[in-house]
Amino acid sequence: MITLSHVSKKFGFHEALRDVSFSTKRGEIIGFLGPNGAGKTTTMRIILGILAPTSGSITIEHMSPIAQRMKLLKNVGYLAENNPLYPEMTVEEYLLFIASVKNAELYYDLLYEVGLEDYMHSTISTLSRGYKQRVGLAAAIIGDPDILVLDEPTSGLDPIEQKHIRDFISRLGKEKTIIFSTHILSEVEDIAKRLIIINKGEIVFDGNKPKGKGKVESLFTKIIMAEEHAKKKKRGVRKKIKK
Amino acid sequence: MNDFSTVMERYAHFKNNMLKRLYKKELTYYLNNAVGYIVIVLFAVFANFLFVKDIFVVGEASMRPFFGIVPWLLIIFVPALCMRMFAEERRQNTLELLLSLPVSEIQILLAKFFAVLTLIAIALVLTLGLPVSLSILSSSAGSSVYFPEIITGYVGVIFMSAMFTAVSLFLSLKTHNQIVAFLSYVLVLFFLIIFSTDFVAGFLPRVVQTGLNYVSPVTQLDGFIKGVVDLRSFFYFVSVTTIMLFLSVIELERRS
Repeated sequence: MITLSHVSKKFGFHEALRDVSFSTKRGEIIGFLGPNGAGKTTTMRIILGILAPTSGSITIEHMSPIAQRMKLLKNVGYLAENNPLYPEMTVEEYLLFIASVKNAELYYDLLYEVGLEDYMHSTISTLSRGYKQRVGLAAAIIGDPDILVLDEPTSGLDPIEQKHIRDFISRLGKEKTIIFSTHILSEVEDIAKRLIIINKGEIVFDGNKPKGKGKVESLFTKIIMAEEHAKKKKRGVRKKIKK
Repeated sequence: MNDFSTVMERYAHFKNNMLKRLYKKELTYYLNNAVGYIVIVLFAVFANFLFVKDIFVVGEASMRPFFGIVPWLLIIFVPALCMRMFAEERRQNTLELLLSLPVSEIQILLAKFFAVLTLIAIALVLTLGLPVSLSILSSSAGSSVYFPEIITGYVGVIFMSAMFTAVSLFLSLKTHNQIVAFLSYVLVLFFLIIFSTDFVAGFLPRVVQTGLNYVSPVTQLDGFIKGVVDLRSFFYFVSVTTIMLFLSVIELERRS
């Protein structure tokens, strides 16, 4: 469904992504895990066609997200990092705007499902962070897209809100392909079926989520620590050579 | 999901026109916000006041002095409307949101362009009392106002506003900071306008003077103010506007 092949992205001299390749299947929930600055958001922006890769290719259902973005984006829902919204609009105005742009209809069922039914006429700027996140999530699923790309959907939320959003994503994952980025390990444990770990722009793990409580955390720590250890060792060797 | 209780019905007439939807969003922002009203009212107040204060001194039943003031006012008021457009969208990250929706860059840009132009048109409508008052005053003094000249003058101002808006949108796209966008626009337009003034022309060689004079939007507006629709001026405004919009689309399409 989504295929990234040898994707690299440079911002000036900084290489944000290096030779990233993976593909997803229909109905998968993929947890995209990595420390801050690992390249999660850049990967998501490249998937959406918001950024172009410096090299490599990306296709979503055999279409290019840049060349065929108008057609493609009708079937992709996106929740961007920090959830950008138009704060001056009411929830209803905002969702109607998104629905009209997507040429879709806005169903009240959706509002009940995300728990926004009592906030339809509230101005977005007056909502709490959790409710703003619900608005962003509702906007992403308007038009019933087959693919959802969610960039840190529970970031900054309290545990109750986090649980609400997680449960909702799990429900959606029964019929959609979802790729969500996070650095909250328990989130991946709760909802992901597959795990991709990215560190410093490179994919360091791609496979099924390990079963059992705390397994994701131990795998993540092991991989990231091993990477750090290897890098430190390399630096140490370089210093010795210089001496 | 069930297919009942949709709230899209009242928007059905908008369904097939993406540009209209985006334009409506942009315009609604200003009409629901004090910024739009403040800019419109201030423009009208300044334009009316600056013209009226000299009307009896000049003693002419002509709107030419008014059209001479307008470019200077547009230097300030157009970026006041435009500077938030992309700089603010970038700051709030909502440009990313727009680019993740099935809308083209041209639609995003044109919606903003026409929304600003609509607001300027509204501000200009608030100055229409001037020619009417002038006509009443001049008829009581046994003179008359030449209306075709006023109509072409307003048409020229609209063309000039379109050009200024396109320049302003482009500069708003080039920066993340609203203040930088505003200042860079004022600088660019200020220099373009002063090229036509005798003060600057006096310092320059004749060839350079003629060239820069042609580049100045004030020189191009001159014909319209005198009641002449010069095709060269028409071409100038349309081409500069198109080029700036085109550059803005390229800037938006850059996925760097």
